[in-house]
Amino acid sequence: MKAPFSPYLAERVEGIRSLIAMLRQEYDYVSVLSTDSVGFAVRISRRAKSVSRETMTTERGHVVRVCKDGLYSEAAFNRFDPDRAEETAAWIRETLNAQLAVLRAAGGKLSVCRTPVLPDEPETLLAEMETGRLPENEDMQALIGRLSAISDAGMARGEGTLDCGAAAQCTHISKMFQTEHRDLRQSYVYAEGSVSVTATRDGKTEVSHESVSGRCGPELFDDLTPVLQRALKSVDELLDARRVEPGEYDIITMPDVTGLIAHEAFGHGVEMDMFVKNRALGAAYIGKRVGSDLVTMHEGALCAVDVTSYAFDDEGTPAGDVTEIDHGILRTGICDALSALRLGVAPTGNGKRQNYAHKVYTRMTNTLFDSGESTLEEMIASVQHGYLLSGIASGMEDPKHWGIQCIVEKGYEIRDGRLTGVVIAPVVMTGYVPDLLGSVSMVSRDREVFGAGGCGKGYKEWVKVADGGPCLKARAMLG
Amino acid sequence: MKLEQLTALLRASGADDWELTRTLEDGWEFYGIRHALDQHRAKRVETCRVKVFRKSADGQYLGSASGEVPPTASEAEAKKLLEDLLLAASFVRNPAYSLGGPRAVPAFPPQETDPAQMARSFLETLDAVAETATEDINSWELFVSRQEVRLLTSRGIDLSAVVPAAMLEAVVNAREPGTDREIELYRMWRSGGCDREGLLQAFAEAMRFGRDKLRAGKTPALGRADVVFSTDAARELYGWFIHRMNAAARVRGWSDWEIGQPVAEMAGDRISVRAVPSLPNSPRNMPFDEEGSPVREMEVLRAGVPVCFHGARMFAQQLGLEDSFIPGNWSVTGGTAGEETLRAGSYLEVAEFSDFQVKPMTGDIAGEIRLAYWHDGEKTVPVSGGSVSGSMNDFVKTLRASRAQRQFGELLIPAMTRLQGVTVTGA
Repeated sequence: MKAPFSPYLAERVEGIRSLIAMLRQEYDYVSVLSTDSVGFAVRISRRAKSVSRETMTTERGHVVRVCKDGLYSEAAFNRFDPDRAEETAAWIRETLNAQLAVLRAAGGKLSVCRTPVLPDEPETLLAEMETGRLPENEDMQALIGRLSAISDAGMARGEGTLDCGAAAQCTHISKMFQTEHRDLRQSYVYAEGSVSVTATRDGKTEVSHESVSGRCGPELFDDLTPVLQRALKSVDELLDARRVEPGEYDIITMPDVTGLIAHEAFGHGVEMDMFVKNRALGAAYIGKRVGSDLVTMHEGALCAVDVTSYAFDDEGTPAGDVTEIDHGILRTGICDALSALRLGVAPTGNGKRQNYAHKVYTRMTNTLFDSGESTLEEMIASVQHGYLLSGIASGMEDPKHWGIQCIVEKGYEIRDGRLTGVVIAPVVMTGYVPDLLGSVSMVSRDREVFGAGGCGKGYKEWVKVADGGPCLKARAMLG
Repeated sequence: MKLEQLTALLRASGADDWELTRTLEDGWEFYGIRHALDQHRAKRVETCRVKVFRKSADGQYLGSASGEVPPTASEAEAKKLLEDLLLAASFVRNPAYSLGGPRAVPAFPPQETDPAQMARSFLETLDAVAETATEDINSWELFVSRQEVRLLTSRGIDLSAVVPAAMLEAVVNAREPGTDREIELYRMWRSGGCDREGLLQAFAEAMRFGRDKLRAGKTPALGRADVVFSTDAARELYGWFIHRMNAAARVRGWSDWEIGQPVAEMAGDRISVRAVPSLPNSPRNMPFDEEGSPVREMEVLRAGVPVCFHGARMFAQQLGLEDSFIPGNWSVTGGTAGEETLRAGSYLEVAEFSDFQVKPMTGDIAGEIRLAYWHDGEKTVPVSGGSVSGSMNDFVKTLRASRAQRQFGELLIPAMTRLQGVTVTGA
């Protein structure tokens, strides 16, 4: 079925267009992004159960972007009466002018960044994407029953099992982008499920976490048994794990860890709003080698079908597919619309907001390494002493200096081309991005994408992203 | 939809109990690149969050479900949402617990909540930062807001508060004279308002770290070493103690700490943790928690021995605590050392991490080093790269901390902390 576009937003189109017309009398550019996204989040464990109609991306509100004399300003609000658009227009004018008055009163050295006016070519679009079911219609009793069964099955692991949590969240996104000449509307549904198992043995407590995601509806949760099985296997491995002897090793990254590297290395590293601020080393490396010949990387909402595969971004730019790295050569970055104007490049469809009340930044969508020619078996066989890294805990970007921090759940020891059964955990992988990507010597044929979780810019502005790729063989510092 | 309408719908919904929290936020935001205004933004957002409760027939379980009712929702839409929530709550089977009733909340001193005044103070402070030819502010983002909160429950709680919120994010650059080499340091401060002197000192410290990072060598592979924490990464160390004393963590098996039993055999300093109602300029100065319980001073950990768990009523009551609350601010004491003692011998003092973390359940620590000072007992050199790792379960046995405290947001913690036997991977 098609995910239907929000009737609430459709009913407000005329009011929004009136607001735009009023503001256009004063401003050189006016756009309005309106959102109405609904969903649910259900978490069931032995110890605690919760149901919420909120997810990371549920929202309803509007944000107006205006430009006057090259200065862009925004006003976000969630009370809007289409019949009294003039009141909203007055509040926007008064508040934005009051802010400028405070800036002037504060005195000091502050000037204004002048940016050209955004283009406003006529365009209409209604993209209603396929889904199996809708979150707003989901049978909660049945869903809670399924998740409870998963939790109970996890608890059946036996002695030392402290808890097993099963979680499901699903969001039906509706977004509408309006300007004087454009009318873009889209709706789609995405879902994320996860299972975590907490267990203890000999005074050591560990938790495993496995997930699944997709641009689909709650049908994703119809059978989370394979996710549970992975979580059960993982928690036992973590309880048996030992610490790694710090040092530099051959590593093979499973697709989830590959995705983390993609995200932290040349995901954040080529967000071009950072180029505008001279905060990214990548700006000086366009056209230069940043990885081995085996490294090719794509980014864009069209690169895969997952949680952030939209038709247009939060600035009305169509979704894209950018080749960031082509056989080791950095080709380009990703860019929001305002940064693109300042840099003189085309926007790539990566202008995203945490929600309507937040500013647009250049953000990732699907960030993926391309597949290669090897098999995982061949890659393992080629390692004398190293680790097969799997599971992600967290990562941190460093676009200015190209450092990388990836905290990986666990590593499987490889000696003389074979897995020994020894597991290390947790694993802190650090290094210099070009060294890490330059050392990529084998790439597997398959590829996976992971869309559970969120991504911050620094320590805020959380958005949905997906990343992944094949298995990579490289060298890295592990601690 | 007006608050009164929503309250009436909740009363008529058939819920055994309900909670309603409405927040009105007036926010102002300014974004700067060096000394130029990049963008400015305003927001006026009204949020109404409801939670409805349903008891099981035998009284053993209390289910709940929550959601946000948009202020533009029609009565029919709001009613449908409440019906859906109530139905869902009937399938949620958590152990029954009692909801709180009305109680007096502490009076807090008035704070500046006008976004215009708050913004002006921050903007003037930013303008006063002492930049040099080689150290300056690359970019900044300022968020200030006035938040008006009202909490109503079916048990008669009706509490209101107007609180400020502020966040300043800044990136500081340092450049090597005569070259194009430039580094950056990232800072984010959350607060209740503008602490001008504190911010100016923090910028000065960041610029000093920037100069040192420019001349930093590679972190040596130290194997096991003592590591000193004297910057905000130490928040994570003490956050671990706070997490382990959370009733939810105890109930869910994420903490095995027991009241009256030392958390470890401690040969070092024995840490004490106390919830405090407020701290100067804290971003979490609020007279009541999200369940309507008044905040107060409460001893949680005394000299390394758990005294009382804290946190949400559902979990606290499973531990037999009828009168719990969710604290916002914390004071951590128990350090007995002076700075000289903590700086004795060889040690690595990490000033900047990429993202230092302590995993709450396992106590595993991890972080990539962006700037540290290696003190070999004689000389001190700045270093960069590599990582630290290990487990708080081991470190707590020999942890040493300073008597002196330093405040980071909602945490007042020892100004210096020394961990022994940390694994240090070289760059």
